[in-house]
Amino acid sequence: MDSWKAFDQNPVTHSVAHHLVAIAELLDEYGYARVSDVARRLEITRGSASITLKSLKHRGLVTEDDRRFLGLSAEGEAIARSIRARKAAIGMLFVQVLGVEPRQADEDTCKIEHLISVHTAERATRFLRFLTSRTPEVQAFQAAWSRFDEPDGHDPAQCPCHDICRAAGEAAAPRRVGAASGRSRKSHEPR
Amino acid sequence: MNRAETIRALNELYAEEIEAAVRYLHLSATVKGLDRLLVRKHLLEGMEETLEHAQTVAEKILQLGGAPRLDLRIQLPAERTTASDAIRTALTFEQGALEAYGELLNKVTGDVALEEFARAQIELESRHVASLQLLIEG
Repeated sequence: MDSWKAFDQNPVTHSVAHHLVAIAELLDEYGYARVSDVARRLEITRGSASITLKSLKHRGLVTEDDRRFLGLSAEGEAIARSIRARKAAIGMLFVQVLGVEPRQADEDTCKIEHLISVHTAERATRFLRFLTSRTPEVQAFQAAWSRFDEPDGHDPAQCPCHDICRAAGEAAAPRRVGAASGRSRKSHEPR
Repeated sequence: MNRAETIRALNELYAEEIEAAVRYLHLSATVKGLDRLLVRKHLLEGMEETLEHAQTVAEKILQLGGAPRLDLRIQLPAERTTASDAIRTALTFEQGALEAYGELLNKVTGDVALEEFARAQIELESRHVASLQLLIEG
């Protein structure tokens, strides 16, 4: 598995993604974006924003006019749009399907929005469209999911998540003296 | 601009100055080549000057009844840099600081003490930016 190498080689780093999306959002909301606006939105110093934006201008992703207003090149705009779309799709999946708290979902989405493939985001969007189709089958599926609760006999050793549920269960509850391992505990909380 | 907004703006400048000092230190540590002998000294002087500016800003915050607050988010690459690139980077963040003081001056119009403070800082930053520009042009 060379996935970790692809992670390191991604030309759109976390910082680059944030700067491009910040500019796109500012342009949408106010019709203009300056270095100070980007810095304030990202809660970083102006010096820090200046250094990253200088590099993005050099790469041809960000433009700056004579009055120092920022813009996005066609390529920069395409990257920003793609990241925003992926963020929206994954965010909805986390909140509406998995039941993650919006704040936590936003934080987690932020970590992966620029890393997941367009294909995965498209599949997530397709799944969301399926869920909002409101067909009887979907309603039955949603009802079953909302009621889903695992029996106490859930066996982490058989879980498709490998050891994650066991680790989560052990972290969530202090080990009791004399108690058996987390194997007998209910590891998946109902939504 | 009310007092709370002024303190918030000054805290942004405080962070700006401290971060610049850290960047100067990092650049002085990573600069390579023959010019290192000359540029490193200049970068370390820059660090000391920005720390002085930070102290001045911090005192102003205290005078206004606030408390200096620092929330730095900075990642500096583990890369060696050339002297000219180091100076260009320093120029970029110094210009950012200069603009930030200019923005403060625009916001505090009417408050003579704060106006004078902003003007004094702008003069210092302008001199710093000019000296860096001279190094690049030379």
